[in-house]
Amino acid sequence: MNVDDYLTELSPLFSGRLLLKREIRLDEQLFQTLLQNNLFKEIRSIKKYIGFYECQRCFNQSSHYFGRLPDRTVYCKKCIMMGRVSEKEPLYEWCGPDAILDKVSQACEWNGVLSPLQKHASLKIVEAIQNRSQILIHAVCGSGKTEMLYEGIAHAIEAGKKVCIATPRTDVVRELAPRFRRDFPNIKSCALYMNSTEKDVNAHLVIATTHQLLRYKDAFDVTVIDEVDAFPFHNDPTLKKAVKRATKKDGSTIYLTATPRLDMKLKKSFQLIPAVSIPLRFHGHPLPVPKFHYIHQLEKQLKEEKIPADITDWFKNRKRRYLIFVPTIEMAEQVSVMLDHTPFVHAESPDRAELIQQFRNKKMNRLITTTILERGVTFPSIDVAIIQADHHVFDEAALIQIAGRAGRSHADPNGDVVFFYETKTRAMVSAKKEIVLKNEEGKKWKEETGEVEKI
Amino acid sequence: MHCYVCFESIHSKTTWGHLFQLFNRKICLRCEKHFEKLQAEHACLKCMKPIEYHDGQMCDDCLAWKKRLNEDPLERNVSIFKYNDFLKDVMSKFKYRGDYEMVYVFEKDLQKAYVENFQNMPLTITPIPLSKERYEERGFNQAEAIAKQLNKPIVNLLTRTHTEKQAKRTKRERVFSENPFQVLEVKEGMNILLIDDFYTTGTTLRQAALELKSKGADKVYALTLIRS
Ligand SMILES: [Zn+2]
Ligand SMILES: [Zn+2]
Ligand SMILES: [Zn+2]
Repeated sequence: MNVDDYLTELSPLFSGRLLLKREIRLDEQLFQTLLQNNLFKEIRSIKKYIGFYECQRCFNQSSHYFGRLPDRTVYCKKCIMMGRVSEKEPLYEWCGPDAILDKVSQACEWNGVLSPLQKHASLKIVEAIQNRSQILIHAVCGSGKTEMLYEGIAHAIEAGKKVCIATPRTDVVRELAPRFRRDFPNIKSCALYMNSTEKDVNAHLVIATTHQLLRYKDAFDVTVIDEVDAFPFHNDPTLKKAVKRATKKDGSTIYLTATPRLDMKLKKSFQLIPAVSIPLRFHGHPLPVPKFHYIHQLEKQLKEEKIPADITDWFKNRKRRYLIFVPTIEMAEQVSVMLDHTPFVHAESPDRAELIQQFRNKKMNRLITTTILERGVTFPSIDVAIIQADHHVFDEAALIQIAGRAGRSHADPNGDVVFFYETKTRAMVSAKKEIVLKNEEGKKWKEETGEVEKI
Repeated sequence: MHCYVCFESIHSKTTWGHLFQLFNRKICLRCEKHFEKLQAEHACLKCMKPIEYHDGQMCDDCLAWKKRLNEDPLERNVSIFKYNDFLKDVMSKFKYRGDYEMVYVFEKDLQKAYVENFQNMPLTITPIPLSKERYEERGFNQAEAIAKQLNKPIVNLLTRTHTEKQAKRTKRERVFSENPFQVLEVKEGMNILLIDDFYTTGTTLRQAALELKSKGADKVYALTLIRS
C-alpha cells in the first residue's frame, strides 16, 4: 500500500465534515504532518467583523451567544453542545481524497404498495435526484411521505450517493431510523441527534436533527429537509445556510412540508422551485375538519381552576383515546391537576419519550401536551382537542398539524378534532379553510383520475 | 440582557418596576426557579448532606471520616445547591462543554453564602486546582472560576497531578497514598477556604486539607457550589 491507499482509508472518518481537533483522533505528529501537506485545512471558527463576530460553524452573529474565556478568547455558546469553538479552537476540514461509499446493488427491500398519489410524488423525487435539482413536496399530514422517499433514496444510494434526512425533532429521528433500518437492510445508516452515540463512518444514509447538519460541509448528494416550515428551520436563517453548506454544490435538496409558510408558497407560485401537491392521505380519506367550539369566559374559568362543562362533556363522549393540546407548560401542569393528574408532556419533560410510548401502547386513555406533539409523532386512532385554540402559540401551521394528528389509521380513518376557544382568531379560520381546500383538491383529483383509493 | 442559561431576553417579560433589580442579572426568573437551595436546618452541620432532621450532630459520613483519619482535616463545608436535573444540565454545559460564562449565574448566591458563613474570618481563598492536562483541555479551572465570583483575592496554594483511580485500595489508603495535591506555598497558622464545584464524597477536599495542614495550615474550610 502507498500513501494514497492509507489516505483513502482515513477519508471515511473525516470527509465532508467540519471537525474539532479532539474529533481527529490522530497522533499529534501525524496530524501536524497532514496539516503541513494540506490534507487538513484549518478554518478559523470565530470571524471578527467590524462591530460583530460570526461563528463559522453555526453562523451565529448575536452578541449574547458569544462569551469570553478567562484569557478573553471569544467562544460561541450557540453551538457549544457540539464541542466548543473559539478564537483559539479552530475547525478542520479534510482535503484528502473523498470517501467512497460501499457499493449497494439493492438498497430498498420494502415491498409495500404506494397509493397513486404517493407514486406520483415518488417519481418526481427520483427525477429531482437524477437531475440534481430541488423539489418541494407539499403533502398533507398522513399522506405517507416517508414511503414516498424510498424509491428516490434507493436510487441515490445505488448510484453511490450519500443521503441525509434532516428533521427538526429528535423524536422523529428516533422514529424514522428503525423504519429505514428495516426497509433498507443492506445499507449503512446512522442516526444523529444530541447525545446519540452513533457515528457516521461512511454511512449511505444519515438521519439527523437539523442542527446536526452544522457538522458537515459538502457531504451530501441528496438532502431531504423534513418539515421545512417548522421550528427551528423556519425561524433560523442560519440553518438554511447550514443545509446549503452540508449539501454538495451539485447535490439535490428535497423539501417536505404539510404546511408551507408564506415564503415557500410564494416560491412555489413564482415557480422558483418545482412543487408537487399531495392533497390526500395514504388511505384516501379526507382530513378531519376541525370543529370550532366557543366557550364563554374560557380563560377566566381556567384561571379559577375550572374546566368548563362543555369540555368535560367532550371528554366523556370520547370513544377513541385522545390528545389534549394546551398553549403553555404552566397550563399543561394546571390542566393535569384538574384532570386527576392526567400525564402531560412538554419540551422539557424528562420522561417524554416514555410517556409517548405509554400512550402509544394504549397504557393510558389521554395525554395532555403542549405543541411539542404537534408534528412528527403519530398515533393510529385518536381524537384531538385544543384548549385555548385562540392562544398565539397556535398559528395556522400548528393548528393544521394538530388537526392532522387525528384519523391516521387505515382501519379508523376518521377522528374528531375540536378547537375550544373564546375569541376566534385568523389562524383558526385560515387553518380550517386550508384543510377544507385540501379536501376539495383531493376529491377533485379522485374524480379526475377515477381513483377511488382503497376505499 | 439575555439569560445565560436559556438565552431568552430577561427584560422583555418584566415590568419597569422590576427593572432596577433586574439590572445586571445573568439568569432569568424562570430558570432561576429551577435551582434548589440547600437548607442548613435540614443538613449535616459539617458537610451539608441533606438529612431529615438532626440534633446538632454530624452525618454518618462525617463520623466515618473522623474515625478513618483520627482527626478530620476539614473544619466544615458549605454548599449552596442541591444537584437536580436542571443543575446537572447547567453544570454539564459549564464544565464539560466549556461554557465559561455560565459561572456568572452563580455570582450572587456565592457572595451571599460567603458573607453568611465566612465573613470577617481571616481566610485565604484557594481554588482546588485542575491537573495540567484537564486545564488545557477545558481552557479554565471551574473551581477558580467559582472562586473569582467572590470578588476577593485568590491565592493558588496548590497544584495537582493527574492520577488514575485505583479501586482496590481502601478509602484510607487512597486518601493518603493517592493524594494528587502538592502545596506551593503556605504560611504557618494560615486559615484556608477551599473552593470547588462539587462536594460529593468529600475525599478531594480532605486530601487538599491534609496536604495543607501537613505544611503548616491551621484550619481548613470549604465552600462548594453543589452538594451531590
Ligand atoms: Zn457557533
Ligand atoms: Zn433563562
Ligand atoms: Zn456530614
